[in-house]
Amino acid sequence: MVTASWEETVSTALVGADRRAVPPESLLEQAAEQVVRMRAGRRPGRGGPPAPAAAETLPLVPAAAADRLARMLAGEQSRLLTEWLETAAARRVRVPAEMIPGLLDLGARDRSIRACVGAVTGARGRWLAGLNSAWAYLLAEPAPVPPDEVWELGTSGDRRAFLTALRRRDPAAARELLERGWSAETPEDRAVFVTILADGLGMADEPFLEAVLDDRRREVRQAAADLLTRLPRSRLALRMTARARRFVTGNGSGLRAEPPPACDAAMERDGVRARPPAGMETRGWWLQQVVAHTPLSFWPGHLGMPPDEIAGAGIGDWEREVRMGWTRAAILQRDATWARALFEAEPLTDLLAVLPPEERSHRAAELVAGHPVDGQMVMMLGGVPRPWGHRLARAVLKKIVETTRTQPWNAGELIRLAGERFDPAMHEHAGEVPELAATLRFRFDMLKELA
Amino acid sequence: MRRVKERWGRAATQSTGDAEAGRARAGAEAGGRAAARRTQAEQRERRVAAGLSELERWLADQIGQGIAPARQTGPADWDDLARRLVDAQAPGVAGTVTRLSRVLAADDWPSLLLEEYALLHLLAVAYRRAAALPGPLRQTVRARVGFPVTRESVLATPAVRDHWDVVGTRDEEQERLVARRVWLAGRTTGRVAMVLSFAPVGQPLDPFPPPGTTIDADLAFYPGASPLRALVAERRGLVDAGPPPGTNVSRVPALIAEVLAADPWTDSWPLVLAGVIPCQDGLADEEGNALPLHPSAGVPWRLLAVSGGRPVTVAAEWTPRGMLPLTTWDEEGAVVRL
Repeated sequence: MVTASWEETVSTALVGADRRAVPPESLLEQAAEQVVRMRAGRRPGRGGPPAPAAAETLPLVPAAAADRLARMLAGEQSRLLTEWLETAAARRVRVPAEMIPGLLDLGARDRSIRACVGAVTGARGRWLAGLNSAWAYLLAEPAPVPPDEVWELGTSGDRRAFLTALRRRDPAAARELLERGWSAETPEDRAVFVTILADGLGMADEPFLEAVLDDRRREVRQAAADLLTRLPRSRLALRMTARARRFVTGNGSGLRAEPPPACDAAMERDGVRARPPAGMETRGWWLQQVVAHTPLSFWPGHLGMPPDEIAGAGIGDWEREVRMGWTRAAILQRDATWARALFEAEPLTDLLAVLPPEERSHRAAELVAGHPVDGQMVMMLGGVPRPWGHRLARAVLKKIVETTRTQPWNAGELIRLAGERFDPAMHEHAGEVPELAATLRFRFDMLKELA
Repeated sequence: MRRVKERWGRAATQSTGDAEAGRARAGAEAGGRAAARRTQAEQRERRVAAGLSELERWLADQIGQGIAPARQTGPADWDDLARRLVDAQAPGVAGTVTRLSRVLAADDWPSLLLEEYALLHLLAVAYRRAAALPGPLRQTVRARVGFPVTRESVLATPAVRDHWDVVGTRDEEQERLVARRVWLAGRTTGRVAMVLSFAPVGQPLDPFPPPGTTIDADLAFYPGASPLRALVAERRGLVDAGPPPGTNVSRVPALIAEVLAADPWTDSWPLVLAGVIPCQDGLADEEGNALPLHPSAGVPWRLLAVSGGRPVTVAAEWTPRGMLPLTTWDEEGAVVRL
């Protein structure tokens, strides 16, 4: 039999050697010879190695911390990963290269950790993100150290980091830089760039932000409107104030609200969205947004009452919408006085975030002491960032101990949350709740390794 | 193996002589046991010979009629064939046949299946003609067929002492057992070895120093034409030796050719490669020569992460379908298991 190519041999075997009048044994023998020759004689192919990664600028995390991260990535105390990443990012250290793919996979699933993942994976992380589209999100996260030419050439993450740093140093220079190339930026970048101006916001930014209200993209307009409501003398604030003056009025002892009859083009330009979310009454939705975008400093003079009285006053129709508007305004304008007043009337977790840490802890502690453990309490506490102050921690620990005695099945979620939020130095005082003590001890060691 | 056979041979001669001389009872019992063992061994040879000649006929039938239907009928046929080979006391061949269904997952399964059929045919023919083969190759054939080799007989061969780098390890679960392979590379002899151990699922395996360590040890190799599997005859201690020296990518084809020339059934061989730039689908050198990765390996992201596009040392398992990375050493010489 003449030597056939491997493809021919395979094709004969597929259709049957009998049909091609080849003795099967000799086909097998020939195939065996070819197989060994192919396997042995395989020449190295021409490979396309990737271009080398840039040099790292950050130091490597200490070995003990890296070991702990590996254990956490394998599942041990994985709820604490976010804190590990935040701490490492703040310490400006990077993780060993072999752990980067695992972290990039986590970031692909969990948007909230992307900024930290971007910071701790360094140059190698960005290099890998360029090779795998599933990790491309990383290129939109700020690099640990943005070099100078990034504004012209960098990825959008690099440029965001650059603008953030410049804004902190020199607010006017950052705004002017932004204005120069504004029309060439993508809508996604424009929306993020506007939010960066929140740092060091002042009336000098007003003309630019007012112009941005004409942007083609809603997210960009919305971001500008949110910033302008923080400037009581901005044109947007004055327009909103004029609307609010008509729709919410004092009537002797109480208040009265009347929603806007229509959402006109001028309102839409100022960031009022015409279409309500599902289940919301349309005009009430407009009213809520007008109140939310009106400077809070307007109300005491207009209604003739201090904030705490306003927050406690009855409104009648549309009360829910007006309160929601004030709540949103207190958060947007970061107004602690209003947040306090509104919280007294109705303890909404979102308002706690506006209060100074000490007070936040105090108020949350009061709530905890007076309520049984339920989903609502856990949700309220979930809104209080770590570390919880002593007062809150003591109140929660007491609650946990009580609940573990009476309704142990109800304490699990609170114990886990406390483990994440308590000051880890409390591990020595949490002996009554072994699971909590173990988590706190884990965090205590974890933070010590990263220090 | 040969040693064992020789002992059997001697015992057999003795037993016939002793029977004629009417010797002591104890001696007669020993002779009886030896004779029984010989009968058993001869019986096994006959069974294996019958099983493998049936396999030859079966393969010829398949090739004669065409392997196109294997996609549908293969798994059932192979299970059936494997059972008959187990009955024929050829567990090695039976295992190969059982694993045939793995090729069906690949797009080019006809080519892969023909490769397997051809090598099975070659093995059956080699067993039939074993008498004409050189000793080491005959032992390779017998081992691939599934004749057992006792630990004692392996340990009785001269051991090879070297500083052995532990270059990779992999655990695989098969039939309620965990099989652990540990690959080693000798610093001075340049030889490679694979130590295989088993434990029931859920129970710990005997501890072995992890990849990245170097042991001073005597290894006893299982007999064969391309010996790889070995036992640790004596472990003398750990050596602090740093990352292992490696081979250049361009040298690999010649090296594999040599291994296959001696044992054409080789389907796994450990390699330590120096100056390798990992790519998404291969291991390259700085000249751009590249060894493809096994399709099942996927993109070796952790290896790429460690290398960052720069040359590193990589230990990998060569297989006919491509390389499977095991271990790498980063620029600081730190070991990373892949």
